[in-house]
Amino acid sequence: MSDNVIIARHLSKVVSSSEAELTILDNVSLQITRGSSVAILGASGSGKSTLLSLLAGLDLPSGGEVELAGKVLNDLDEDQRAALRGAQVGFVFQSFQLLDSLTALENVMLPLELAGRRDARQRAAELLDRVGLAARTSHYPQQLSGGEQQRVAIARAFASEPAILFADEPTGNLDAATGERITDLLFELNREQQTTLVLVTHDARLAERCSSALHMQAGKLLEPAL
Amino acid sequence: MSGFNSPALALRLLGREWRSGELRVLILALLIAVTISTAISFFTNRIERSMTSRAAEFLGADMVISSRSPLPDLYAQQASAQGLRTSAQVGFSSVMASDSEMQLSSVKAVESGYPQRGELRITDQPFGEERTTGEIPAAGEVWIEPRLLNQLALQVGDSLEVGYASLRISALITHEPDRAADFYSLSPSVLMNLADIPATRIVQPGSRVSYRLLISGDAPALQGYRDWLEPQLEVNQRLTTVNDDNRQVGRALGRANQFLGLSSIAAVVLAGVAVALSAGRFAVRHFDASALLRCMGLSRRQVLQLFLSQLLMLGALATLAGLLLGWLVQWGLIALLQDLLPPDLPAPGLQPLWIGAATGLTALFGFALPPLLRLGSVAPLRVLRRDLAPMPSSSWFIYGLALTALCLLMWQFTGDLTLTLSMVFGGAAAALLMGLLAWLLLRASAAPLARASLAWRLGSGELLKQPAAAATQILAFGLIFMSMLVVIILRTELLSNWQDQLPADAPNHFALNILPEQADDFAAQLNTIGARSAPLYPVTPGRLVTINDQPVREQVTKDSQGERAINRDLSLTWAAEPAADNQLREGSWWPSVPDEHPLVSIESELADSLGIKLDDQLGFVIAGQTLSARVSSIREVDWDNFTPNFYMIFSPGSLNDLPATLLTSFYLPSSERAVLRDLTRAFPAMTLLEVEPILEQIRSILAQVTLAVEYVLVFVLLAGLTVLFAALQATLDQRLYQGALLRTLGAQKALLRRANRLEFTLLGALAGLMAVVASELATWALYRFALDLEWQPHLLFWLLAPLAGALLIGVAGALGTRAVVHQSPMRLINRSH
Repeated sequence: MSDNVIIARHLSKVVSSSEAELTILDNVSLQITRGSSVAILGASGSGKSTLLSLLAGLDLPSGGEVELAGKVLNDLDEDQRAALRGAQVGFVFQSFQLLDSLTALENVMLPLELAGRRDARQRAAELLDRVGLAARTSHYPQQLSGGEQQRVAIARAFASEPAILFADEPTGNLDAATGERITDLLFELNREQQTTLVLVTHDARLAERCSSALHMQAGKLLEPAL
Repeated sequence: MSGFNSPALALRLLGREWRSGELRVLILALLIAVTISTAISFFTNRIERSMTSRAAEFLGADMVISSRSPLPDLYAQQASAQGLRTSAQVGFSSVMASDSEMQLSSVKAVESGYPQRGELRITDQPFGEERTTGEIPAAGEVWIEPRLLNQLALQVGDSLEVGYASLRISALITHEPDRAADFYSLSPSVLMNLADIPATRIVQPGSRVSYRLLISGDAPALQGYRDWLEPQLEVNQRLTTVNDDNRQVGRALGRANQFLGLSSIAAVVLAGVAVALSAGRFAVRHFDASALLRCMGLSRRQVLQLFLSQLLMLGALATLAGLLLGWLVQWGLIALLQDLLPPDLPAPGLQPLWIGAATGLTALFGFALPPLLRLGSVAPLRVLRRDLAPMPSSSWFIYGLALTALCLLMWQFTGDLTLTLSMVFGGAAAALLMGLLAWLLLRASAAPLARASLAWRLGSGELLKQPAAAATQILAFGLIFMSMLVVIILRTELLSNWQDQLPADAPNHFALNILPEQADDFAAQLNTIGARSAPLYPVTPGRLVTINDQPVREQVTKDSQGERAINRDLSLTWAAEPAADNQLREGSWWPSVPDEHPLVSIESELADSLGIKLDDQLGFVIAGQTLSARVSSIREVDWDNFTPNFYMIFSPGSLNDLPATLLTSFYLPSSERAVLRDLTRAFPAMTLLEVEPILEQIRSILAQVTLAVEYVLVFVLLAGLTVLFAALQATLDQRLYQGALLRTLGAQKALLRRANRLEFTLLGALAGLMAVVASELATWALYRFALDLEWQPHLLFWLLAPLAGALLIGVAGALGTRAVVHQSPMRLINRSH
């Protein structure tokens, strides 16, 4: 296994609408080394979220291929990709994606339970404590502020100790001060767990904290990966 | 994933969702479905058992085997072996004689155990106090009807000659449960002990004797015995059971059962709609969860497995709770009604539990599965792109599954596959039609509404934006209203039908053997005592012997009604005009110029069973003379109305030279029974037959059935309302979100309130309109094909249903969307994603 935990080769994504074919991603190649943190920067519509969805195996490219943790995603069917995600990948979303019907603790427990871990409750409680929400474990997402919800989402993302963490505009829905604290938390946990972090954002300050940055424009990558 | 344990995780997730209140609507809908069908099943099961046992009184047993020749001993032995009670009986007609008088009587020789159902009541003196007895006449004794005492000028304690035996009259019969079985044979009853039969020497080979075996016991044993018996029955042996014996009670019972069955179906349809709507809502609200789970590494199959096992657990839970609740509700109902129900109401069987459970699970899988299957096909990419909704399941699949579920449930309730299939497919066609109509109406109103005020445009906008979705909603509410309407209409019809059948002043006395020369006096006397009477009909006993010169015996099939008609004298009459409630089915009434040959009008069922057609020549033996008459018409007779009815009515003059007496029926309140004694004295030759006890019996059964029908109606209406609210709840999410948006844009609360009210009122009115169209179609089909009733449009409902719909949904919707105008818009918008 090479040191590159993610390799993309000549990725393209084309969607056809009623009028014309629209190229969202155009011949993108990149490599991301284990333990690094990479920011994917770009304006709205530059194709960065599409790139993230392809790298994470949430969607398949129209052309090219992705190798994630040593597996070529094109060779896997949807369920095999799901299994790979379960084992290797964590997510943090702009809109938090917490389940309304579960408490903070239960939301964090979910991936652990899916993995069949017996210490799910204890581990989830530890993580909530780690993100500073020990007092809010039994609260439902509705009862939490945006920043608190994102902390729960971060605790959930790190719960299963993923090799790779994808974060899609993690501070996009938060005010600057809260966003700052969330970013600190994200990088701290990243360091502690030596996770590979792939972060999609249009916030240059956030990108600066990553070990490298990739710039997207109109579906193309402007600089090669370091 | 390796450590993934679906059931355990599903259970935990279910528990969490339960606490969060997310499952309330689905649980409620299921709970209603199971509770209603269980409670109705329990209640009707018990009422039905009670009614059946009341009906059994008319037979004196649960079933009776009768024959003109002695029955094989094996029949009784087999019955005993299967744990059934048996009691033998011999019946015959015999002339009773005292020193001075003679009277033809019907004699019944019984053994202990008679009657097996109902009670025998006797008295020691005419008009004396009656008492219930568990005994039968001791050997050497006889019990007779009081009128026979008059006719033969005898006293209690005197001897009565029955054939060669001399038996002492030890009591008078005031109530004989199985009297009704012989309602139209009017000779007075004599009850004696079977042990005395040899001494009478009446029962000889070839003598006209009816051998009867009474059998009673619990239902499964009876059914088992019946299955064993039926293949063995000889041509001259006849099996009568509760269901096919008595016309009046049988029909009332049949209709009641149909009604209760249909009500249960209405409840199931209601529940189905609720389950479908709430499962749809559940599914949509869990798209995100499904996408997230896929992100976290669950496979498509595992996600589906997770939600389906949740569904199954939910179903099991709601079903169990519903069964318990249904059982409790039924007890509550019985407790509420205890003054009106018979005290010895049979305990319910276990069958209702199965029906309830089957209802729950069938409704769940038939109606909830299709929307939930969508959860398996949510793309994980939805976590990034929320607009990615999974493809809806094929509509053929959804509706096919729901229809199959409905078919199964209805089949269970009605036990009639043809009826079920025609109802389901008729219903599906009606639903399709309703949906189409709603869609067209919405499309048509788009243009005029576009120019209406803002509140109107906002209110109708939701409906018009997606006519197909709105049509589905209208259809769902329409189905709910329709179920309620059909049950209301059927109930009203049934009750008035029964009321017509047995008005309070239905004739409760029959007077026969009135001599022609006394006819005017008798009519005058009846008038004086204020009794309302039917016309006086001349009657002469006669026997049908040939049909087109062929002996009639050769044309009678086993078990036919004809057999009963030709084995005894028929009461023949003549009349210038048909009775008011007789309807000509074929032919015409007498020609204006009298035909020189006698003409006869025959009752339709008898004609069918004997294969008699218009213009057939019928041969009769009347008082030793033969008479031939041509069939000039075939009549339908309403046998339920307790006025004199005849199988054969001759043209006037046909029977002129033959001896005849007159017959009538009249109503006299029981408080004035004393005048009957004067009447009997004034017309000693007349025979007076009291049918009040039979009427009472039938009335009390009908009262019970009515009660059952009323309560089931209340049940269905309550269920309908609950489901209505549940269904409304399922459509609220989108409205709340839109309302919140509008408020952030500066819309006034009043405007939103008005828009909401308008939208729901419009929705309700349209649903009400759909419902009335569909319920008219449904009742028309039901009346015509299942209930055999005459259908008329229910004009009032055309006005009331849309109004009630508008009001109900308008109010419920306004209440449900209060949050739109009261809560913080931000909160709602946050919550909605």
